[in-house]
Amino acid sequence: MEVNPLSVILVKSDSKGDRLLFRYPFQIQENKETSNRARKNPYALSVVEESLQSVAVSSSNINKGVLTGLSDEVLSSLFAVKTDLCDKKFELKVNDVRFVSHPTLLQLQNEQSEKDDSGIMLINIVFALSALASHSVVRCYHDLSQRFGIILRHEEKRCSFVSEQTQRMMTAHDECTSNNGSAFQIILEKCTLANNIKKLYEDLSSTGLVNIIVNRWISLTFCLPQKAHQWHLRGQTIEPEDIDRCLLALRPYHSLLLLHPVEHIIDFTSLDSSPSLVKMLTQYSPMKNLQTLAADSDLTLSHVFELTAHLVYWAKATVIFPVCATNRYVIASNAPLHHTSPLIEKFSKAFPGLHLIKAIHEFSVPTSLHSKLDPFSKPTLQSSLVQNIIWMLQHHLLLQLHTYIEYMPTDNGPPSLKDQKKIAKTPSPRTSSVLSASFPDASRTESESGASTISEAQELMKHLNMENASFTSIEDDKQDYQEELLVDFPDEERNEIFKIPATNTPEDLKLFARLCRKGYFEGSHHIEEIMYLENLRRSQLTQLLDKFREILITYDSEDPAIAMFSCTT
Amino acid sequence: MIVDFSDKNYFSSLLKDGLIRCIFFCEFHHTAGPIISCQVPENFVSKELFDSISVYIITKAELQRSTITVTLEDCKVLGFPIRIDNKKYERNAFHFNLCFVCDSETRTVQYEHVVTKFSDYLMAMEIESRFLSTGKSNEKLTPILKTVLEDLNTKGECALLEGPIATHLKVCRIRSDPTPVLDHQVPVFMKALPPHQWDLTTQQVTPYIDGFNHVARIAALSDVDNNLVKACVQNLVYYGVVALVPLFQYGNIYCATWKLRSLAQDRELQKRCLTYVSRTQRQVPCLRDVFRTYASMSRGTTIRDLCTRFNLANMRINERKLVQFGVLEGLIRRIQKYPILVGEHTELQKTFTGTYSVDEICCATGVTSQQLEDRLERDHIVMLLCK
Repeated sequence: MEVNPLSVILVKSDSKGDRLLFRYPFQIQENKETSNRARKNPYALSVVEESLQSVAVSSSNINKGVLTGLSDEVLSSLFAVKTDLCDKKFELKVNDVRFVSHPTLLQLQNEQSEKDDSGIMLINIVFALSALASHSVVRCYHDLSQRFGIILRHEEKRCSFVSEQTQRMMTAHDECTSNNGSAFQIILEKCTLANNIKKLYEDLSSTGLVNIIVNRWISLTFCLPQKAHQWHLRGQTIEPEDIDRCLLALRPYHSLLLLHPVEHIIDFTSLDSSPSLVKMLTQYSPMKNLQTLAADSDLTLSHVFELTAHLVYWAKATVIFPVCATNRYVIASNAPLHHTSPLIEKFSKAFPGLHLIKAIHEFSVPTSLHSKLDPFSKPTLQSSLVQNIIWMLQHHLLLQLHTYIEYMPTDNGPPSLKDQKKIAKTPSPRTSSVLSASFPDASRTESESGASTISEAQELMKHLNMENASFTSIEDDKQDYQEELLVDFPDEERNEIFKIPATNTPEDLKLFARLCRKGYFEGSHHIEEIMYLENLRRSQLTQLLDKFREILITYDSEDPAIAMFSCTT
Repeated sequence: MIVDFSDKNYFSSLLKDGLIRCIFFCEFHHTAGPIISCQVPENFVSKELFDSISVYIITKAELQRSTITVTLEDCKVLGFPIRIDNKKYERNAFHFNLCFVCDSETRTVQYEHVVTKFSDYLMAMEIESRFLSTGKSNEKLTPILKTVLEDLNTKGECALLEGPIATHLKVCRIRSDPTPVLDHQVPVFMKALPPHQWDLTTQQVTPYIDGFNHVARIAALSDVDNNLVKACVQNLVYYGVVALVPLFQYGNIYCATWKLRSLAQDRELQKRCLTYVSRTQRQVPCLRDVFRTYASMSRGTTIRDLCTRFNLANMRINERKLVQFGVLEGLIRRIQKYPILVGEHTELQKTFTGTYSVDEICCATGVTSQQLEDRLERDHIVMLLCK
């Protein structure tokens, strides 16, 4: 794994020089002599040209996930940076290892420094990573190093923690003259700071969730999202940017899906966690959307969004559309379903008597809860089915399909070429009211003056209607209200629309025009979103889509905003 | 607010290959310590900046001949420290380092080999004729560094032919390794094959890449060993000349993805799509028909169903091309069927694990997918998962 740290290194530099105080992991070399070099074959011919050619040195400093080839002295000299580079990001790449840190300057608090005024110390907690680690991973490690530095600075000020710990480490190094790592063992036994670093390394390489208490006083919690999300999404790297985008797309109708039982999450929250988080978790249900959740737990919606963002970032939850009877689900394209999958056993354990493969097989074609239940089935069956679906969603085995709508009035697709530019610039020009004299294109008003008044516009409108009437052969006696409803549509689109019989029903045409003007038919809103935003019933909308199916094309797809945790293609 | 998910810049900004801003040559002066003796353009790296990072440029002995990159707030310095031991030098050794400077937010891995090679070249020149250490290195080096900087930034390659030794520098883009090619995949040309001295296998294989033959078939047609064809196709994939799509069959199922939206909005994509999917050159189909066909692709609908539902020939749509374009542009996605054994059967266990798709199994065993699916329908111990 390239997100795991290879090593964590602690270096100090002060008036007495620089020193590598501690690094983890370390190995105690016992027989240093034999491992050093293989004997040279005395019979081998020495090739003369070799001395001219550059010797191919293996340029790797990583051996089985451990940093090698760089002595402590070299590391110490590299990380005891000049003061110009302090208190900013430090990044150094040597061959295939990338070192990242935030060198921190701190004022020592011991008595000695007060005497000779030399009490500035540079402390540097360096993470050695594989050079393949991405930009965002490096940024996260830098952040962690910076936080650690701030804590150390604070602890030094509070109780001269750093000077005491460094003194102990120095003494251990001085006592242990043999340079084989045994000094590190002694330091680990004696120093709390070394133990903190050990725990830090272990947390980072196991879960990516750091939870340490420095000097038994200040807690340092940190999440490395690229690692933390591995446990539920094996083989995929979730970048912090992915999460940010998901959270930007969060809507009140979405809902929170915890990946752990609620009790576990409450255990995970630290002592000084926000009480509103606990409040929200007590009201949690995957069937509630965020808006309901906010109302039930008596919090503001924006705060619920923040809490959701927090839980998602820390890999404790994911975002779904609330489970309801009309949701259609299919198997996720990368669902790890094979006959040796541990999920099969896990599922049977959670739901005795059921087989995962048989249960999920029905989702090979889009299936809704509604279609799986008939009115005579027992209510217990429904609740168990819901539980099944929630379990599968938690394991990213299912994807929800949404219906998107694209408005295609003519053969050439959505709004004709000349309007396209205008639409691209202003998101929905159709929201302008009928009489606001904003005609979509200049070509039709070229005979008029540029600044057309309202009355002129109305006149022109009538004129246009007359003109239309000659073209529309199917419906020639369209009433005024129909024309008015579609007045800002281009002629050719209007002609196509009027070929549809449903335009004779004023309600249908009104609804169509309203939704079309608001830009819902541009493929970026799914039916559920339109229902939510426009306060419509599903049946109203599906009827409308059916009536206008000639010009409204529907297709099914997953919601790109929330599907990124299960389908990053 | 609508988040634009198709915004690729978002990712590429993190991985942009950077231009070289400056090249400097620095050496260890026996009295003055580390100094920059030649820099192109002049005064790009200030004295203060150099002093704070000189420890990473003129390094300790253990770090000789390692590529070292130090990233600062506004620039990135990439070097390769070299030491030549010889009694004739003051202090018995000559230390030097040739460094490239780039912007700090760009990628510089691709320059590592260039820096190494260039440093080796300078080292050879020094050993041959004391090119660097005779004191006038500034006048001699400046023109060389200037050409290297300009040529690498504009052409990506540079030839140094003056002097006793010649060398060629070339920036190679580091790409990720292509995934292994499978028997049932179909290679499609993404651009014309560059006129090149291709190897014999490639010359023999490429005439059969027509966008419809799968790898195993190409191997049979071109009379080339299967593994060689795979290696060849993989190589072409690496260079972006071909892309791999799933095998086309009328029984296949595809589904629309959220990227289909871009077809309705992107005029340029529409134009390319319509010319690509049309049956004849003269008459292109209309967008609404094409869009409607893509939109009707869903789980449970085969291409055969679509052909009967819409009269594709009448709409002037070539369904094979339609599918190919959709898959290549990511507008649609193939739904694969994975047979998985749910009962106990030792023989079938190896094949129907849930990891091999119907395509793979058919290609390996030589049965048609129709036959296989019919067989599986009769068995109740094997289930077909579509995903």
